[in-house]
Amino acid sequence: MTADQTTPEAPGPVVIEAESIVKRFGGATAVDDVSIAVRSGEIHGLVGENGAGKSTLMRILAGILTPDQGEVRVDGRPLTGGTRAALDAGIALVHQELSLVPELTTAENIMLGAFPTRLGFTNARQLRGVAATALREIGVSVDLDERVGRLSVALRQFVEIARAVARKPRVLILDEPTATLTPAETDYLLTMLQRLAEGGLAIIYISHRIPEIFRICDRVTVLRDGQLIGTTPIRATTPAALVDQMVGREYKLDLQIRRESTPGEVVLAARGVRAHRVHGVDLDVRAGEIVGLGGLVGAGRTELVRAMIGADIRTAGRVTVTAHGRTRSISSYQSAVRNGVAYVPEERRTDGLALTMSVAENIALPNRRRLATGGVLRRSRVSAFAQRLADSVGLRPPDIRKDAGDYSGGNQQKIVIAKWLGRNPKVIVLDEPTRGVDVGAKAEIHRLIRELADQGTAVLVVSSDLPELLELSDVIHVIRDGRIAGTLSGPEADERSVMSLAAGGGMVGKA
Amino acid sequence: MNSTPTLSLGPATTDRSARLRAALARRTEWRGLALLAVVVVATLSFEPLVFTAYPVTLGRVALIGLVALGLTAVILMGELDLSVASTLAVAGVVMASIPNVALGIVVALCAGLLIGLVNAFFVVKVGINSFIATLGMLFVLRGLAFVLSGEKPVRMADIEAGIAFGAPIIGPITPRVLIFVLVFIGLQIFVTKVRAGREFYAVGGNRQAARDAGIPVSRRLVTGFMLSGFVAALAGVINTMERTAADPTAGSTVLLASIAAAIIGGVALTGGRGSIVGTLVGALSLGIIEVGLTLSGVQVDVQQIFIGGVLLLAVITDPASFRAVVGNARSFLSGRRGETPA
Ligand SMILES: Nc1ncnc2c1ncn2[C@@H]1O[C@H](COP(=O)(O)OP(=O)(O)OP(=O)(O)O)[C@@H](O)[C@H]1O
Ligand SMILES: [Mg+2]
Repeated sequence: MTADQTTPEAPGPVVIEAESIVKRFGGATAVDDVSIAVRSGEIHGLVGENGAGKSTLMRILAGILTPDQGEVRVDGRPLTGGTRAALDAGIALVHQELSLVPELTTAENIMLGAFPTRLGFTNARQLRGVAATALREIGVSVDLDERVGRLSVALRQFVEIARAVARKPRVLILDEPTATLTPAETDYLLTMLQRLAEGGLAIIYISHRIPEIFRICDRVTVLRDGQLIGTTPIRATTPAALVDQMVGREYKLDLQIRRESTPGEVVLAARGVRAHRVHGVDLDVRAGEIVGLGGLVGAGRTELVRAMIGADIRTAGRVTVTAHGRTRSISSYQSAVRNGVAYVPEERRTDGLALTMSVAENIALPNRRRLATGGVLRRSRVSAFAQRLADSVGLRPPDIRKDAGDYSGGNQQKIVIAKWLGRNPKVIVLDEPTRGVDVGAKAEIHRLIRELADQGTAVLVVSSDLPELLELSDVIHVIRDGRIAGTLSGPEADERSVMSLAAGGGMVGKA
Repeated sequence: MNSTPTLSLGPATTDRSARLRAALARRTEWRGLALLAVVVVATLSFEPLVFTAYPVTLGRVALIGLVALGLTAVILMGELDLSVASTLAVAGVVMASIPNVALGIVVALCAGLLIGLVNAFFVVKVGINSFIATLGMLFVLRGLAFVLSGEKPVRMADIEAGIAFGAPIIGPITPRVLIFVLVFIGLQIFVTKVRAGREFYAVGGNRQAARDAGIPVSRRLVTGFMLSGFVAALAGVINTMERTAADPTAGSTVLLASIAAAIIGGVALTGGRGSIVGTLVGALSLGIIEVGLTLSGVQVDVQQIFIGGVLLLAVITDPASFRAVVGNARSFLSGRRGETPA
């Protein structure tokens, strides 16, 4: 495609510049002598494995963290004085984790910290006006008065971007903004960022998805273990070279051959499931089979799996789990877990992890029974067990005594996956299993999922990542508006067929 | 396709009735209102005297409610102020010990602000959990009230002023009720219209997000604790004026009642959720129940059982947990049905 539409060699002057930044957490060095400079009109990619220090570096640019050494300069002037000063200097950060206030409205969230006031009173009309303008600028329509807690994850992501844009920033930093978006939404966002850059904005863009980097970035900086590996113009590198730089060794992007699967009997069966946003779904998952659920964000996939396993209320329908020749119906989440169902939720940071407990404790949590003798946890057994799982998902650094909350976003996801993988469940339901996980770990998690299936586990995967869905699944059900819009398997499943079913047969994505 | 790129993510509610419905669904006061309705109907049928003698009822509501209003500001930020009742006592004693009424009032209110500042200091600067910090202050201040008063009620020097204060000014409205209404209006405007007050919700709802957005979180916390301290001191002043004496044991039941009022009114202890109106509704319910039970000759101890029950009922019927309860019951039943062999 025409990645060189803009002239990458001739962007504007340097707007923001960080020099020799060092940041330590306790003994560990998260960012080690890193320098980066971003020009006006440039989209600057930032890549690296989970825990490489990307988010930490960006938090320093945004004034949230103070560096132990080094200096951040905006227009040549040193930046000190925390968040407020950074905001005033025109630096806006869209966080990796959603950073919204659920009880405030869309408009209030967009204007958070910058409410227009008259004599201390918020000027409601102006507030809504500016928020509406920001939303219009990014071309997304959201009810301004809706509480943000009631919006879908994708909408919240766009609300955050609107908040950054509303500040009229000069530097816009996006930390993995597409992790929660569907291909169509991602495509939209990338186009929008190119448009903003053409308007002279300096953009720093973090993503684990290499194609995105190549599509919009002018230059790319690679971090590994907190160190700067290098900054290169995008035209001077290739995806393979970039990945090599990230992992520091030659990494084989081996194309997965589709698994030889010999599915057994039906283990998980759903009949006529209805729930909020789910309108009557029949679904079977067999032992040893990986069933994928595709579709757009908001199509009701998460709602469907949650209703199936009893995590949310079902208004109609019956779901059963069959094991050892006995069929049990699932009436509640407890009964699901009792009957061997494991569930890795979409909102892992909030639903899946005790952030102030150690990695080992987190992993041991759902596996207490088998790690205990006479009701007492055996420490040595817990650490051996946790260490094995932590290694198998590629936790970095693989220190299971650290608090889960001290790990980077992608590594926290690995911990949640690890804790459920350890259970050897009969049925495992994974909602977006590799969101925010780096390339190496992603392949690792895929391998683990396949292994589980090979051992006879029935696997149900929700994923907005099309290549992942296609690569993993034996059968793909595409969900649209709470119903199964179509079922694809074998060679008939490809990006086109899935997307056209997801979007209702009509045209989708870019021209 | 068309030239202006837009992304549509789900239907935007445009039609008016849907909008209204959504706006109503956003409110947090429903369960408080429902409870209030039940309480009103029940009292009307069992003890209509509660409403005939409404000045008494209003006075009681104002007593519980005033402290609860100030406390709500703190709870909205996800913190707690357990020192309010002790602040009330200290402020009363301080005021009564000063011969000049006006000076006494000013000093007492300043004491309230100072106490709030100290609470905030422990929470913000020292970093102690507010539950523990204000629990400490609860004991310290109660002790202080006893020391200052010599362990017995302190009579106001100017008893006339006190008697005059207790008299109704407009119709049955006593100054206590009037002040309560004014504080309610003031706080309601503060948390809905004033920037700093609005930001209380952000501080309580997602503190990290608030920090990242450049909101001065510490300053908001200081404001909240000082508000709470001030209002509690105000309640102490009013108490002393009405009784023309300050009792160091004053307000011992106020703390729990005011927390209960806020919770019944839909204010979440985790912060970020609830409203001043909700606390008013909660205080009304509690006040009516208390007066109703007293008029029916129910013992104070039994009243407490009743209020505790109402509080639990209010929490169970919270829309969120209520849905869960109904859902559990339903899936339990359908699960039973499902397990019978087909
Ligand atoms: N608050 C903290 N306390 C201790 N260690 C931390 C803290 N925040 C980050 N770290 C550590 O710093 C390192 C870099 O983390 P960072 O979040 O910057 O990684 P990242 O590149 O953004 O990774 P990801 O792709 O997973 O988001 C990690 O090893 C992490 O464990
Ligand atoms: Mg990160």
